[in-house]
Amino acid sequence: MDLPAGTRNYTYAQDMAIFRTKTHWAMLLALLVILFTAPLYWGNHWLSVANLIGITIIAATGLNILTGYCGQLSIGHAGFIAVGAYTSAVLTNRLELPFIVGLLAAGIIAGLIGLIFGTPSVRVKGFYLAISTIAAQFILIWVINHWTSVTGGFRGISVPPASIGGMIFVSQSSQFYLILVITVLVVFLAKNLARTRVGRAFVAIRDNDLAAEVMGINLFRYKLLAFFIGCFLAGIAGSLLAHWIGFLNAENFSIMDSILYIGIIIIGGLGTTTGPIFGVIFIRMLQQGITFIAPVLESTFALPAGFTTGIGPMVFGLAIVLFLILEPRGLAHRWQLFKASYRLWPFSY
Amino acid sequence: MNWKKLLKMAGIVSLALMITIIPLLSAGCAGTEEKTLKAGFSICYTGVAAEKGRPMGNAKLDCMKYINEELGGVAGYQIEVIWRDNQYDAAKAATIINELIAADCLMFTTNSSKMMASSMEIANRAEFPGFAVFSSPVCTHPPQHIYAQMPDYGDDWAAFAKYYLENIWQGEGRPKMALHLLNNPTGYGAQDAALVLADELGIDIVAIDEHTATTTNEIESLTRIKGLNPDILYISSTPQPTSIIVKNAVELGMYPGITIGCGHASLTSVLIELAGADTEGVYGVYPTVNWGDDVPAMAKMTEYCQEYHPEDYGNMDYVTSWAEGLIVAEILRLAIENVGIDNLTPQAIEEYGFQKLDNFDVGGLHGPVTYTSGDNRLSKSVRVFQILDGEITPITGWVEAPLIPYEFE
Amino acid sequence: MAELLQFVITGITVGMIYALIALSFVLVWKSSGVANLALGQLVLISSWFTYGMLVQAGLPLWVGFVLIILFALALGWVIERFILRPLIAQPILSLITVTLGLAYFIEGAVSFIWPKSVAALPRLFPQEPIHIGTAVVSQEYLWAAAISVALFGLLSLYFKYHKMGIAMRATADDQMAVQACGIPVTRIFSRSWMLACVLAAVGGVLMSSIGGITFGLVETGLKAFSVVILGGLNSFLGAIIAGPIIGLAENLGGGYLTPLTWPGVKEVIPFIIIIIVMFLKPYGLFGEVRIERI
Repeated sequence: MDLPAGTRNYTYAQDMAIFRTKTHWAMLLALLVILFTAPLYWGNHWLSVANLIGITIIAATGLNILTGYCGQLSIGHAGFIAVGAYTSAVLTNRLELPFIVGLLAAGIIAGLIGLIFGTPSVRVKGFYLAISTIAAQFILIWVINHWTSVTGGFRGISVPPASIGGMIFVSQSSQFYLILVITVLVVFLAKNLARTRVGRAFVAIRDNDLAAEVMGINLFRYKLLAFFIGCFLAGIAGSLLAHWIGFLNAENFSIMDSILYIGIIIIGGLGTTTGPIFGVIFIRMLQQGITFIAPVLESTFALPAGFTTGIGPMVFGLAIVLFLILEPRGLAHRWQLFKASYRLWPFSY
Repeated sequence: MNWKKLLKMAGIVSLALMITIIPLLSAGCAGTEEKTLKAGFSICYTGVAAEKGRPMGNAKLDCMKYINEELGGVAGYQIEVIWRDNQYDAAKAATIINELIAADCLMFTTNSSKMMASSMEIANRAEFPGFAVFSSPVCTHPPQHIYAQMPDYGDDWAAFAKYYLENIWQGEGRPKMALHLLNNPTGYGAQDAALVLADELGIDIVAIDEHTATTTNEIESLTRIKGLNPDILYISSTPQPTSIIVKNAVELGMYPGITIGCGHASLTSVLIELAGADTEGVYGVYPTVNWGDDVPAMAKMTEYCQEYHPEDYGNMDYVTSWAEGLIVAEILRLAIENVGIDNLTPQAIEEYGFQKLDNFDVGGLHGPVTYTSGDNRLSKSVRVFQILDGEITPITGWVEAPLIPYEFE
Repeated sequence: MAELLQFVITGITVGMIYALIALSFVLVWKSSGVANLALGQLVLISSWFTYGMLVQAGLPLWVGFVLIILFALALGWVIERFILRPLIAQPILSLITVTLGLAYFIEGAVSFIWPKSVAALPRLFPQEPIHIGTAVVSQEYLWAAAISVALFGLLSLYFKYHKMGIAMRATADDQMAVQACGIPVTRIFSRSWMLACVLAAVGGVLMSSIGGITFGLVETGLKAFSVVILGGLNSFLGAIIAGPIIGLAENLGGGYLTPLTWPGVKEVIPFIIIIIVMFLKPYGLFGEVRIERI
C-alpha cells in the first residue's frame, strides 16, 4: 500500500525499513542536506523560528507518545516543560554543571515528576486524568515561583548558553545544529518506539485498556512508562528552550501553552510520528502569518480594535474544532493521502 | 518512462526551493542605500497584554512619525523603525530580538519587563543595547546592556516608603507595613526592594501576602493581616485585584484607619471605577504626568494622538511610550553628536548615547532622564498621588527613588 | 477564634459560587457524558455579554437579564448543534479536546469583541456588609449563595420529576436504550447544553458583579473542576456539598498554612485536593463509580 507499484518486500528487514526505496533515501538525503546547510541562506530570524519549531517538535513528540499513542490525555505539558527548563537552568547556572548533564537531568527529573502525577492514571482516565494533569501544571508552577532560593522565584533565572566540550552554542546557527540533531534523534527514536513491543502496548492501551490487560499488558507499568517518556521529552525540550532564550520566568509556561500542545498534536495527527512535525510547523507558521497579516487587515478594513488580539486564539480554537470534526486523523493523514494519490498518478482509482 | 522520476525530482526541488526561498525573501528586503538610523521595537501589540501594548505601540510609532516627518529625523537622518509584535510570548520575543540584531538595528526597546527578560540574555550576549519601558529590577541588576526607562516596582515601593516616613507617619517607633503582592514580577519587585531597604529606612515588614491577578475575594488574607495590626498596607498589583483588596479592607473595617499605598500599575482610573468610593484617600505613586498637564511635550502628543489614534486619548500608557520615543531620539542624537554618523554601532550607541544621557527632561512627561554609572535606570523619579474626591490627584513633585542595592545571585 | 469564624464564613459563601458553576458542568456530564473544559470561558463570555447589555447598551436591568438568558440559551444550542453533535460516538479524547478548542475560540472571541481586560458591572445587591458575631460577610455573597442553593433545588427537582429531566438521566445511562424508547437523544443533549450555559451565565453575572469582569473568571472555572472531582462528576448534591468544602479548604488552608509555607498557598489548595482525591477516592464523594464504559 505504501510502496510504489512493482516494489515488493521479500525480507523482514525490507518490510521494516523506514526508508524503503532509493527515492526515499534520496528524499531523506535532500532534506538533510537542505536542513544542515540552512544557516547558509536563512537569516538569523528564520533560524530562530526554526529553532523554536525544533524545540516544539520535541515537546509535541513527547505529548504525542503519551496522548497520541497511549491515550493518556495530559493538559499539563507546559508544566513538565517548565520542570525541565528549570532543572537545566539550576544545574548549569547555580551548580555550574556541564550542559549535557543539565539536558539529561532535565529529561529525567521531568520524567520522574511526570511519574508522580501520572500515578492516578492507574485508577482513572479521560477527564479525571486531564484534570489531574491541569492540577499538576498549577502545582508545579506554584512551586517554581515560590522556591526562590533555588529557582529564583518570580525574579526568574538566567541560563548560560549551551556548551559541549569546548563548543559554546551562542549564535542561532550553532544552536540550530544542536537543536536539529536532537530533534532528528528524537523523531527517529519516537518512530522506532512506536514499532516496538512498547509502542504496540501503548496503542493497545489507548484503543481498549481492558482488552490490553487481558492480553497480558501490564497497564500500570506501561501507562507510567508512557508518562515517563512523554515527560522526559518535555524536559529535554524545556532544557533546550531554557538555553535558547537564556532567561526563564515561570509565566512563560501557562495552561494555554499546554492546550496549544494538545492542539498541535490533534492538528498534526494523533498517534503518528510525522503528526507532531506537521502540527508544529502548521501552528508556528499560522502564528507568524497571523501576526503579520492581522494588523494589515485591521488597518485596511477598519476592523474593531480587538481584531488583531482576538484573531489568533479564535483561528487556533477553530482549527482544533474543525480538525476534530472534519479530519480527526490530522495533517499526517492528509499527507498519506497525498502521497498515495501522487504515487498512483495518473491512475489514482 | 523516466518522467515519473522527473516529477519526483521536481517535487523535491520545489519543496526545497519553498523552504529556502521564504526566509530569503523576508531576510533579503533589508538594505536601502540612504543612511538611516535603525531602531527596533518589540511590542506586545497582540496577546494577553494587548490592552497596554497596543496604546504603547501606537504611541511610539506616532512619535517616530512626528520625529521623522515634522522634525526631519534625528540630526537630519531618518529613523528607520523596525517593529515586531511579540504577542507577549517569550519564545516569540526571543525570535524577534534575534531578528533585530540580524537586521543591524542600533538599539531596541520592549514594553514590558517580561518581554525584556526573554530578550535580554540574547541582547547582552550580542552587546546590543536596549531599554524596557516598564521593567523589573532583574533587567538592570547587575547593570549590563539593558536599561530601564521608568522606575520599576521596587522603586515605587522605595519612593512611597520614603514619602510615608517623611510626611504621613506620626506615631512612635517604627511603622509596621504589610505587603500585598500580585503573584508575578509586578508584585514581587516591591518585595525585593522592601527586603533590602525596609530595615535601613526604619520600617518593619510584618506580613508578605500574595494574590492572583484574578482574585475575587481577599477576606482571608486581610483577616490575617488585620491580626498583625499594620500601619500601612502596600499593594503592588494591577487595578482589579487592588480594587478587591481595598473593598475587602473596608468591609473588614481596616480602612479607613490604616494607610493604603499602591504601586503605579494599580493606580489608574479603572481602580476607581471598580472600587468606587472605597478608594477615597488611597495613596499611590505614578511615574508620568497626566493628560492635559502643562508640560512642553503635551501639545504635540495630544495633536498626534487625536489625529491618528483618538481611541487612546486619556490612556496613560500612550504618555509613557511617547516619552519612550523621545528618549530613543535623544539617545541617537547624542551618539551622532559624539561619534558621528559613520561610526554608529550598537556599542557606540550604548557608550555615547545611553551613557551620555544627562538630565534630559523628556518634554516634561516624566522625571528627568540621567545615566549614572552603575545605575541602569534612566528615569528614577515618581510622583505621589492620592485619590481625593474620586480623582487621582498629585500631591508632590518628583520624588527620587534611591538605587536599591539588590543582591541577585 | 475570631479569625476562624471569619475564615469559615468566607469559605462557605465563596464555595457556594464555585458550586453554582460546578452545577453547570455536572448538568452536561450527567446527560451527555461530555466533560466541558470550556466552563470558565462560558462564564467569561456571558459576563462580558452582560456588560455589553447593561453598561454599553445601557438597558434596564430586567431587559438585560432576559437578553442574557436568551443569549445563554442560544450559545448552548449553537455549541451543541455545531460542535458536539458532529462528534457523537467519537472517543472521549475528542470530546474533551474539542471543548479545549472551544475554550480557545471563546477567549479569542471575547478579546475580539471586548478589547479590554477589566470592566465593572453595576451592583446588583446592597453593599452593606453583614456582621455575624465578629465576622463580616458582604451581602453580595449571601445572595449568591442563596441563588445557588435555589438553583440546586430546582435542578434536583427537574431531574427527579420532570419528564425531560428523567429522560436526561436515562440518556446518560444508556443512549442506545433511550433511543429505542423513542426519546430524541439529540434534543436532550441540546437542552442540557442550553441549561448549562444558563447556569454558567448566572454564575458569571454573580461573580462579576462582585469582583468585576476579568480573565480570572476562567480560573474560577478551573476551581469548579476541583469541586466536581471532589463531589463526583454526576452528582448535583456532590457539587453543592463539595463547593463549600473547597471554599473552606481554601480559606482555612490559606489562613493557617500561609505562615508555614509560601504565600499564595490558597491558590493551589484546590489542585492539591484534586490530586489527593485522585489517589484516595477517584470518583468523588457522591460520584457513580462506574463512569466510563468499555
